[in-house]
Formats: sequence, C-alpha cells, structure tokens
Amino acid sequence: MGAAALRALPWALLLLGPLLPGQGLQADPVPASEPLQRFPGAEPGGITTAPPASAQEIEPLHKQPGNHSGEGAAKPRKAFPVLGIDYGHVRIPFEISLWILLACLMKLGFHVIPSVSNIVPESCLLIVVGLLVGGLIKGVGEKPPILRSEIFFLFLLPPIILDAGYFLPLRQFTENLGTILIFAVVGTLWNAFFLGGLMYAVCQVGGTGLNHIGLLANLLFGSIISAVDPVAVLAVFEEIHINELLHILVFGESLLNDAVTVVLYHLFEEFANFEQVTIIDIILGFLSFFVVSLGGVFVGVIYGVIAAFTSRFTSHIRVIEPLFVFLYSYMAYLSAELFHLSGIMALIASGVVMRPYVEANISHKSHTTIKYFLKMWSSVSETLIFIFLGVSTVAGHHYWNWTFVISTLLFCLIARVLGVLGLTWFINKFRIVKLTPKDQFIIAYGGLRGAIAFSLCYLLDYEHFNMRDMFLTAIITVIFFTVFVQGMTIRPLVDLLAVKKKQETKRSINEEIHTQFLDHLLTGIEDICGHYGHHHWKDKLNRFNKKYVKKCLIAGERSKEPQLIAFYHKMEMKQAIELVESGGLGKIPSAVSTVSMQNIQPKTLPVERALPALSKDKEEEIRKILRNNLQKTRQRLRSYNRHTLVADPYEEAWNQMLLRRQKARQLEQKINNYLTVPAHKLDSPTMSRARIGSDPLAYEPKPDSENLPIITIDPASPQSPESVDLANEELKGSSHLSSSPEEDEEGLVMRVKEPSSPGTDDVFTPGTSDSPSNQRMLRCLSDPGPRPEPEEGEPFIPKGQ
Amino acid sequence: MGSRASTLLRDEEIEEIKKETGFSHSQITRLYSRFTSLDKGENGTLSREDFQRIPELAINPLGDRIINAFFPEGEDQVNFRGFMRTLAHFRPIEDNEKSKDQNGPEPLNSRSNKLHFAFRLYDLDKDDKISRDELLQVLRMMVGVNISDEQLGSIADRTIQEADQDGDSAISFAEFVKLRC
Repeated sequence: MGAAALRALPWALLLLGPLLPGQGLQADPVPASEPLQRFPGAEPGGITTAPPASAQEIEPLHKQPGNHSGEGAAKPRKAFPVLGIDYGHVRIPFEISLWILLACLMKLGFHVIPSVSNIVPESCLLIVVGLLVGGLIKGVGEKPPILRSEIFFLFLLPPIILDAGYFLPLRQFTENLGTILIFAVVGTLWNAFFLGGLMYAVCQVGGTGLNHIGLLANLLFGSIISAVDPVAVLAVFEEIHINELLHILVFGESLLNDAVTVVLYHLFEEFANFEQVTIIDIILGFLSFFVVSLGGVFVGVIYGVIAAFTSRFTSHIRVIEPLFVFLYSYMAYLSAELFHLSGIMALIASGVVMRPYVEANISHKSHTTIKYFLKMWSSVSETLIFIFLGVSTVAGHHYWNWTFVISTLLFCLIARVLGVLGLTWFINKFRIVKLTPKDQFIIAYGGLRGAIAFSLCYLLDYEHFNMRDMFLTAIITVIFFTVFVQGMTIRPLVDLLAVKKKQETKRSINEEIHTQFLDHLLTGIEDICGHYGHHHWKDKLNRFNKKYVKKCLIAGERSKEPQLIAFYHKMEMKQAIELVESGGLGKIPSAVSTVSMQNIQPKTLPVERALPALSKDKEEEIRKILRNNLQKTRQRLRSYNRHTLVADPYEEAWNQMLLRRQKARQLEQKINNYLTVPAHKLDSPTMSRARIGSDPLAYEPKPDSENLPIITIDPASPQSPESVDLANEELKGSSHLSSSPEEDEEGLVMRVKEPSSPGTDDVFTPGTSDSPSNQRMLRCLSDPGPRPEPEEGEPFIPKGQ
Repeated sequence: MGSRASTLLRDEEIEEIKKETGFSHSQITRLYSRFTSLDKGENGTLSREDFQRIPELAINPLGDRIINAFFPEGEDQVNFRGFMRTLAHFRPIEDNEKSKDQNGPEPLNSRSNKLHFAFRLYDLDKDDKISRDELLQVLRMMVGVNISDEQLGSIADRTIQEADQDGDSAISFAEFVKLRC
C-alpha cells in the first residue's frame, strides 16, 4: 500500500502543480525517477504548458534520492484533485485521432456541399484544406507536422494498395498485362532517364547555382518524379468514370511501376556515393530490377497462399476471418519492404492470389466486413495523404529556383507525352484492340504524380543531397500542377472528347455463360492452329487451378463447385434480397431491416402493384398479395429454394415454407424411401452467405409437437456426391412428409440444424429473435388450413402481429 | 517438312485463299504446315479423327462442336480451303477493311459473321433459335457432371428470361447479338 501510494503521489503532484505553485511540497518524500522521465517526453506544444511548469517546481523536490520509505508514512494534506489536465498522457493518440477526424469531416463536408466538388476533384480540395490547416498551425506559432516517410509508407499507403489489389478486375488486368507492363517498365525508365538527362543539361547550362548538381543526382531526381502515382490516379479517375480499359491501363501502370521506381531510387542513391560507376554496377542494377519485382510478387503469392489455406479452417471462428486477410497482406507488404523488394507488388500479388479462395471459404458477413473495412481504410488514408501534402507544403523548407522548377514541370509533361506516343505506336502492333489517339491522350494526361514522389524525396538525407530542398520544392510544384490542373480539367476533357465511359451494367448470367463459352471456343481454335496463345495458357492455368489448387485451399464441398454455379448463386441471392427489399412480398409490420442491404441497389421489380394499406385485416391483405404475386414469381422462387435469403426471419420462414410445399407437391411421385436422417454438417459458405443474417436461426418446436413432421435441412452433406444438389435436399426433406401423410398438412416446422460453436456469428445475433419467432412459428402451426394451393397460403403472418 | 508443304500449295491457291479469307501469305503457309501435320493420312483432307487427335481439344468441353463446325453439312472430310474458311472467322477485324466493306460480300471475319459462327455452335438443329434444351446441353458440357439437372434447368430458365425479348422462350440471333454488346 505504501509503495502504491508513493507512486501515486507524483501524479497527484503533477496535477496539483499548476494549481498550487510552490506550496509546501518540499516536505514530502517522493520517489525520484518517474515524473522526471515523463517531462522530457512531453514536448512543448500549445496546450502542454502545464507539465513543464510543474516540472520546474517538482524537480528540486525529486533531486532527493528515492528511498525515503521511512518517512513514507507522511502523506500530503492536500485537497483531492477533482479535476486536472494531463495532456501529455494522451497527446499522440489524441493528435492522431484529431487528424483523422479532420480528414473524415472534410470528406463529409464535400459530399454535403456538392457544388464545389462537381468542378474540383476531391483531392484538390483536400490539399487546399491541408494548406489552410498548415497555415493555421504555423500562424499559431507551432511547427506543423510534416508527412514523415515512415508513416506514409508503413501506414498510409498499404490500405490503399490493398484495396486496389484485392478488388482488381482480374480479367481486364490480365488481358492487358503486356501493355500495362510495357507502360510501367519502359515508360517509367524512359521518363526517368529523359528527365534526368535533360535536367542535368539544364543544370549545366542554367548557371544559377545549379552547377553542383551532378548527373547522378539529376537521374535520382528524375527517377523519383517519373513514377505515376496510384493514389492520385485513383482519386481522380474514380470520379470521372472512364471506361474500364483506360482505367485499368493507367491504374495498372501506376501500380506496377513501383518496382522500377524502387530499383532506380536505390540504385541512384547508392551510386551517388560511389566515385565511379562501372559496368558491373549497371548490370547489377539491371539484375536487381528483376529481383525486386519478381521477388515482390513471389512474396505476395506465398502470403496469399498461406492466407487462403488458413481461411479454409476458419469456419469455426468466423469473427476473426477478416483479420486474417488484412494481417497476411500487411505482412506480405512488410516482408517485401524488409528485403528492399517491391512492397506494392507483394501486396497486390497477395490480394489477387488469396481472393478467389478466401471468398469461397469465408462467411458472407466476413466478406462484407472485408469489403467495408478496406474501403474505409483506403478512403481515410487517401484523405489523410492529401491533407498532409498540403500541410507539408506549408511546413517544409523550400528553396525555390525558377529555372529548375519550371524546366522540371515542362520536361515532365513532354516526357510523358512522348513516352506514351512512342510506346503506343509500338504496342499497337501487337494489340487486337488498338489504342486510339483519344485513348493515348487520356493515358498521357492521366499520368499524375503524388505523395509517393514526395515521400521518396523526403527520405533523401541531407549530407549526400544538399539540394534536397530544391528537389522537394520542384516535386511539390509538379504534384500540385498535375493534381490541380490536370485533375480539374480531365473531367471536362473527357466529356469534350466523348471518351467512352464506364457502362454501369450489372453482369448478367448470360454474359457469364457466353464469356465462358467463348473462352472455350477460342481455346479450342488456338489448339487447332497449334498456337500457344493467351487463351491456351489461361485454360491451362484454370485446369491446374481446378485440379490441384482448389482442393487444397477451399474448404469442403465448395472446392468442386464450378464457377458458373457459384456465380449463379450469387446472382440469385442478390435478386432475392432485392425482391424482399422492394416490398415484393408485401409490407410487414416487423420491418425488414434494410440496413444490411444498403449496399445492393434495388432495381425495380417487373411486378408493380399497389401495396395494400395495413389498417385492414392484415392477414387477408397479405394473403391476397401472395396469391397475386406468387403466380408471377413462382418460376423464380423455384430456383431460389433455400438460398433466398432475407433479413427478416419471418419472411425466410415464408419462403421456405412455400418452397417446401411446392417441392413436396412436385416430388411426391418421385419419392423413394430416402429415410435417412442426414447428419447436420456445416453450411457451405455460399449457402451461409445466402443468409443475410448469417446466424443459425433455430426454430425449436414445442416439446410436445413430436408428432409433427420435421424437415431438417442439410445443405451440403458430403455423403451425396452432388454437393450442391438441392433436389436431393428437397427429396430428403419431403420424404419425411410422405412418411406421415396424414400429418402432411398440419403445418411444417422447420428446424435448421447448425453447429453453433462459440466463435460463430452468434455475436451478431440480436439474440432476442429466438423466443418470439418460436411463438410465431407455433402460431402458424395452429392454423393448418386445408390442403391448399401454395398461393392460398397459410397464415404466415401470425395473428397477434 | 517446310519445303514439302510449300511445294504442295500452289501460288494461285494461296492467292485465292488470301482473297477469300484475308490472311497474309506467311499466315497461310504457316497454317498449311499445321494442316499437313494434323493430316496423318496424308490425303490432303482432314477427318474428324484427325481433329480428335489433338490432346487439348479432347478435354475442351466444346471440342466436339468446334470440330463439327469445320465440316460442312453432311461431309466427313475437310480440305484446306474449308479449313481456312472456318478459321477465317477468327481473324481480327482490321480498320482498313471497313472501307472496302460496301462493295463485295461481307468478309468472313466481320463481326456479324463471327457472331453467327458462335450462334451456330449453340444452335445445333439450325432453326435459328437457341432453345432451352440446346442451352441446357451447352451448360451441361461446360459445368460437368456434378450439378443436378434441376439446377441447370433453373440457370437455363434464368438465362432465357434475361435475354428473351419476344417472349418465345428461346434466344434468337438478334437477341444473341444484343447480349454480346
């Protein structure tokens, strides 16, 4: 007790310090070390005046050696501090949170006031905000924080890249991979050398204090600034909705040129220290390019495979599934950076590799979580980056040299245009779909520079590169120019040139089928010609994937599910959601929770009818609606069966019952004696993903209703070879019906067996739905009705509702 | 092998094929050498067995249909001209050809002809419609044996529903074209 009290004392004194200056504190024995160490940590800031002040007071006190345990019994006779300020304690997290909050509020502001953001892209506005905030901080007398490179590369950049890589449209990317690679590698090299060389010439000629900048320094500068920046490209292109080909070309280029940038940067940084650059060094540099890029990809692939493999076993702990995705990707990035490999390529490779397998394994909620977390983090990161760019501009040391800056700007633009033109001329010889001049213009114009260039320059150290400030100034100018001028004008230019925009069509099942069909067709033709082309290798990869890889990395029965079927399930589920959301089955007082369905845009149903008012007898109305509706939607419902997921448990009960009855009727003739009681297995993720509330909805029948037939739904029993065979389920289900025909129409009770292990999504369940739904279920049972047509439904809505 | 191939293919023939299909000289000679390498019987024509000997084609789900597309109605052998005619459908459309389009017959690799070719692969009974059964057959080939008929049936129904505009529950060529846009 004494020790604790002694340790608590300095905190009390700390608090009291500003309030009770110089009062009788000397008499108190206090342990020496702790408070002293705190004060140096609390840097002087606007609000942090208190701790230093009290430091001065308490210091003489603390010079006494600590072991005054003998006198430790004497406690100070002070009033207990009711309120005090201790900013140093929370300073760093507090400030970080403030910045992030600022970023989010700015984003919010731009969307609430849309007038400005229609003209000016968001990135520009954010930079302006950053400038203002930076100016504000400087005006107050504080030193505004500069965007430190570690923070940028380790915390701000990965979420954006992971978001981009995870949701990369793989098909377009691989189709255009050759083009993208040529732009990324050759284009960036061309930019770097052209710019570096020209700047060197300018430096020699300029004579205004630039002579000391050597060739290597200029080449380094060129390599830093030549890279197209993915963050800026994303920020601007996302708003103009350009067609997918151009988007993927520019964006893919910005992602893949990271390898080139990393190599060139390290190369020239090292070379600047050497006296002589030999041929060996150049060859080694060339080699290191391959090591960096392929090594990065390799690291990413390994982590991706590990993540996919891990996700195979996470069916018991669904809650932490998203974490695996994030952590493995981040580790891939860090591991690559550890070895000076290209972290961006590692991140993208891991995202691309793990995605198909992880998505087959994880639950629907985890899928949504991953999507939203990635979007959230990348959005916040992007905002923060731009704001900090603005702040750093105000805060940094600048050295403005007209010649240097202007010539940098000019040559950047010229280099980009020439590069794109030349490369396109070369590439068009090999492309089937040629790049038109309009496309070329957009590609050239979309070469935006951004924060990566800034951070790379910031990393240079002063002793070797004392012109760093000038470089920084030039880079910031180029960034501002590209983001502001090019970013603002690209939208009107796109409209002016009538560039094809992105088509907002959803992918239909037709498209999917025909795409696959054509793939097979073209592969076959290639084989006939003996030509090992694009399709041939893609087909080989797919076959390999299906035969070996999927078996390892996907859990359970999903590993055999063909792509078409998975796609179809997804579509059906979406449609079911839309059907329910747009009130297709009548309005229910227990409102369908549309929160979880916000992300899916409902399309107008083909069936349009007036929704009934609920003031009348609800049951009758709803029955009428069902009768009207089910006629038309029956065809769809037949294919839904248990995948039609609804948020509302009552509706789910409806649909399921409906379908049960339909199926029962249809299959009555075909029933053999399948009297097996299928053991309950885990849901395959598609099916469980088909539940919006991905929770075990346990409808427990009343204890004394043993005589009622029970239909157990077994989604994916591995006993049956047809894993996704829904017909069999119905068969098994309805076999119970037929076995007790006289109880057939007494109403159906559904028991969904699911293993509910501790870590499942039970945490998301409100948990209260069980008992009320029980009772409603049972009330349904109490009104069996005659052997009706399905439309003449049972009172699915219980009376007491 | 190469010299034997070029002597068997006369220059006038190459010219004719070039005019008909639009392939270049080097492409034609290359394809001719491929043709002869496939032609085990060395009688200047290919039979179905020759095609089936290609290993990758055997595992291609659409293999049989592709092979059938080479053989004109009722015949069992295809010569080099026929071979090239079918392959011509797959030549990329070049911009400078569009200007010549108005005069003669449509080139074999026009967009519409390509679509026709694909359509014919679906439509086996050649009634210019893809019926539900034909669609089912194609789906069954692509998807494998693990999926039940019923599920495939619902996919087929859904597909037709999406594409069908004149309500005949089959996909006509016009609807097919609209899909591919």
